[in-house]
Amino acid sequence: MKEKSFLLFSAVLIVVLSIVWMIPIYALLTTSLKTQEEVALQKYLTLPQRLQFSNFARAFQALKIGLRNSFIITLTATFIAVFVGSLAGYSLTSFNFRFATLLFFLIVVVTFLPYHIVLIPITHILKSLALLNTYAGLILIYTILSAPMATLITGTFFMKIPPELEEAAMLDGCKPFLFYLRILLPVSLPGLVSATILVFIQIYNEFLLGIALTRGPEVKPVMPFLAELKGTQIAQWHIQMAGALITSIIPVAVFIFLGKYFISGLMAGYGKG
Amino acid sequence: MRYYRTQGLVFLIPILVIVGIFYGMIVWNFVVAFTGWQGLQATWKFVGFYNFSRLFSLQRFWVNIGNNLRWLLFFITPTVFGGFVLAYLLNNLGRGEKILWQVFLFPMSLSFIITGVLWAWMYDPSSGLINSILRFLGVNTSRLGWIALPQTAVYCMIVAAFWQYLGFALVIYLGAIKGIPYEMVEAAKVDGASHFTVAFRVIFPNVGHATLICTTMLAITTVKVFDLVWVMTRGGPGVSTEVLPYLMYRLTFDSRDIGMGAATSIVILGFSAIMVIPYSLWALKKWVRV
Repeated sequence: MKEKSFLLFSAVLIVVLSIVWMIPIYALLTTSLKTQEEVALQKYLTLPQRLQFSNFARAFQALKIGLRNSFIITLTATFIAVFVGSLAGYSLTSFNFRFATLLFFLIVVVTFLPYHIVLIPITHILKSLALLNTYAGLILIYTILSAPMATLITGTFFMKIPPELEEAAMLDGCKPFLFYLRILLPVSLPGLVSATILVFIQIYNEFLLGIALTRGPEVKPVMPFLAELKGTQIAQWHIQMAGALITSIIPVAVFIFLGKYFISGLMAGYGKG
Repeated sequence: MRYYRTQGLVFLIPILVIVGIFYGMIVWNFVVAFTGWQGLQATWKFVGFYNFSRLFSLQRFWVNIGNNLRWLLFFITPTVFGGFVLAYLLNNLGRGEKILWQVFLFPMSLSFIITGVLWAWMYDPSSGLINSILRFLGVNTSRLGWIALPQTAVYCMIVAAFWQYLGFALVIYLGAIKGIPYEMVEAAKVDGASHFTVAFRVIFPNVGHATLICTTMLAITTVKVFDLVWVMTRGGPGVSTEVLPYLMYRLTFDSRDIGMGAATSIVILGFSAIMVIPYSLWALKKWVRV
């Protein structure tokens, strides 16, 4: 009986807590669909009387250049970082090099060191390459900063592939790159998806480099645009919330549909593989 | 065979270049911290510890350090503790687990900018969500300024980050608890151990690796809260919510005092290296299958 009441207590506690956790999202959703007058009443927990999709149109208008820029930068950088990272992951796990462990250690360290500490050299390098405020510059930097993480995650997955697979392929005369492309990548597709998702979300959500390496709106990613929206639409909560919602659609959709890979990527990235 | 291995080496070249650039940038930053570089043009005049002594004599720097320590203590402890307790309870229930951890985990996929925009609205003293709910409940909110007050602003941000990262600790602990031999927990229960004893005396000591992962990752996150500070308060009121990366940004891009900005980066590097290097050594052992 005591056990039962404990279970009941924990069930109630968890349900209450999860409701509390969802209140901000609920308020964000409903507020983003209200009129200015409704918002002024400050009854944030009531449903909107008529859905104001025009809020989204207004917020989208302010964010669309940023969204376009973020797509171009994030997709390209993610693709290159995962390609480079998975090649390195393959090489590190399949061939027993003398300095493989040391290199792996160096990669782990840069994966976890916050990139804030190299912001000044990054700015300087891009400036001397005349790549400040260009897509190429941002893609280059995001690739450099994300490839170590991609190496780590894909490497963890590649380690689970039995070495016999590669030996057999080698005896059949399969070249390493063909093995990587035709056998390794398809076999460890979940690992590849995990790495892609984590790198993608990390780059898409990045903010500091977005403000430090761009001038004006031409190539600026979406997160600085959202921060600016907050600055220009002061107390226009419905517009701000619509903007936050538009910006979060992609990561949240990825999380809902590919959450399994998100988690396994997190686990692999933190050395629990 | 040798030919095969040589090709394997070629695959490493891009990551070698990238890792090389990264460490090169750290060294470069180190050198700059000892130069008198101010303004747009690089000046490689060696000034010794001048930048550091100027930095340490700034009142503002110590406010930043204080805030970083506050973040470490008041962000990590509740998140780790809450994540563990929640994971224990969820694991016990064994039901609805998947939906529930998704509720707690999805904020992890949001950026600090989105979290910041959302929570800045909730904390707004006059028209924010929290005060309007409190007023509805009959509370006098005229003195509840939340992020508008220097005394409470940092803690308000910590709560927002707690909201975002609790699910992370939950998932890490949940995975670790599932890895514990079932018999061990069962034996303790047969001996009549209470839930408190089972959770903190039997399970907690056996999920040390999860505690290590959570603590380290959350500690590194406290450096990345730059975004949250930027979007919620811009370091204000005054400089009361600034953290070191914020000071680094201001010194570098607003004051154009590159030498001092680099010195701040070195302080952050020292801060992070203390956590990252031991963690990497530990993680490496698991990866390399020793």
